[in-house]
Amino acid sequence: MLQKKICLLGAFGVGKTSLVRRFVDTIFSDAYLTTVGVKIDKKLLTVGSEQMALILWDIAGEDDIAAVRVSYLRGAAGYLLVIDGTRPETLDTAVSIQGRVDAEIGSVPFVALLNKADLEEDWTISMERIAQLEAAGWQFRRTSAKTGAAVEETFQELAALLAR
Amino acid sequence: MLDLPARISDSLLMLLHAQRVLAHLVVDDAQNLVQAGGHLDHYGLTGLQSGGLASDQIPFLEGLLPLVETPFLIRSMEMPSGRVADVHFFADDGTVWILLLDVTAEYEEARLVQQKAYDMTLLSQREARLIAQLEAANQELTLAHRELAASREALQVTHDRLQDELREAERYVRAILPPPLAEPLAVDWRFVPSTELGGDSFGYHWVDDEHFALYLIDVCGHGVGSALLSVAVADTLRSEALQRTDFRSPAAVLTALNQAYQMERHGELFSTVWYGVYHRATGELRYASAGHPPALLVSGPCEAAGEGRPLPANGPCIGISPAARYQEERCRLPSPARLYVFSDGTYEVGRPDGSMLEFSALAEALSRPVAGGASELDRLLECARDAHGPGVLEDDFTILKMTL
Repeated sequence: MLQKKICLLGAFGVGKTSLVRRFVDTIFSDAYLTTVGVKIDKKLLTVGSEQMALILWDIAGEDDIAAVRVSYLRGAAGYLLVIDGTRPETLDTAVSIQGRVDAEIGSVPFVALLNKADLEEDWTISMERIAQLEAAGWQFRRTSAKTGAAVEETFQELAALLAR
Repeated sequence: MLDLPARISDSLLMLLHAQRVLAHLVVDDAQNLVQAGGHLDHYGLTGLQSGGLASDQIPFLEGLLPLVETPFLIRSMEMPSGRVADVHFFADDGTVWILLLDVTAEYEEARLVQQKAYDMTLLSQREARLIAQLEAANQELTLAHRELAASREALQVTHDRLQDELREAERYVRAILPPPLAEPLAVDWRFVPSTELGGDSFGYHWVDDEHFALYLIDVCGHGVGSALLSVAVADTLRSEALQRTDFRSPAAVLTALNQAYQMERHGELFSTVWYGVYHRATGELRYASAGHPPALLVSGPCEAAGEGRPLPANGPCIGISPAARYQEERCRLPSPARLYVFSDGTYEVGRPDGSMLEFSALAEALSRPVAGGASELDRLLECARDAHGPGVLEDDFTILKMTL
């Protein structure tokens, strides 16, 4: 069976673990529990006519003190950059991480998730900046781990990209 | 490395082994699992088979091998059992050794500290965003307040200008009112509009040497529109500007006035008018009313209590129907006596409790004796103001007195 490693990256508190829990276990909890280190999950998908195992690396979020260990991305076929729509600074973190990942492992497919779409009325993120990044080739999806909106679809989309 | 005796090195290894619950995996250069040992159960890594692809059995190895650097460490990886391990990778002669050391206790400690720190950071970020939103809202409010103040200032300027113009108009309206007369007939009046410009107006003049006309107009409503119409009607009567009309004939005057001032051509305003003509030689008063309150005749001298008698007359208001006709009334005025003509604002005065002053109170106030140079007109005005309480009267207060 085809097996692909993908990593979830982003600032702390953007919802990486919640997205994995929604995708793997179809559950969500409002309680915020921080991630230390890394947690690995496996999810089987069907891509086209083939079965694929996604090995999901939920990596502790970046903060002012600790940067993401990009060496953990070795062997990753793709990654998801997660941004909290209610916290504009998490977009800056995502842009910074993407640059470092690109330098460490080269160009691999990624999708940027504007998460917490259920709180869209509270979003303060700059849509102008999003448009600039889209023009630079970034693909954005609006997701909500809380409601499940666009979560399954986004993982499927990335898996399809990796299967090519 | 420390140059330790073998016995101490061994003891240290035993200590590490006991505290860190060691487990190991060995993968060859074909990435097949060739060996697994130690406390694998502790980490939930059970049922491992030597010979197969390592990453098929141990998902976290996917993509990591062959090693790019050695040694390589992945800190605090949560294992299938829920325990947390530091995962050490060492290349050794064509194979890769993977050692798992339990760090669950340190992980829990670090997680609690990190949780607290992140909670605080998220709170402070949220606070900063809220403060920024409040500051933005405050700026908007300040701006709106400034704009409001500017609008208010502009409104005040406009208001002051309009007030000045109203005062100017009021001065004009007062200036064209006839002055009180002393000879040969004494006429006095009080005029207190409810706003700067009222709907009342009046006049009197000699039509000829024998006939003295006296009239009072009350246009519905108050303000500029009513005042303009009232002044226009008064001027029409004063200047006798109704063609083919005998101004000695009150019924003819009101009929012509009604045709000249139909409401559809005068701002939908109508009015009540009392018009009377006194014939000096005979002492006869001829009068007619267009919806106006009756005049009051009080016989006897001012200094003594008199008897008040309303002079009845009926007729429709001016301006409502062009076909309206007016009945002329006649009566002989005794001497001494006073004839009062007034608008309804002199007695239809609301009290604070909701009740109204009545016509009988007006008749009573005007019939009482007057002494010491005082005027019953002032007394009546005082009576109306006392009944009304503080503030301006709600209707125009206008009264004319002709003394015989």
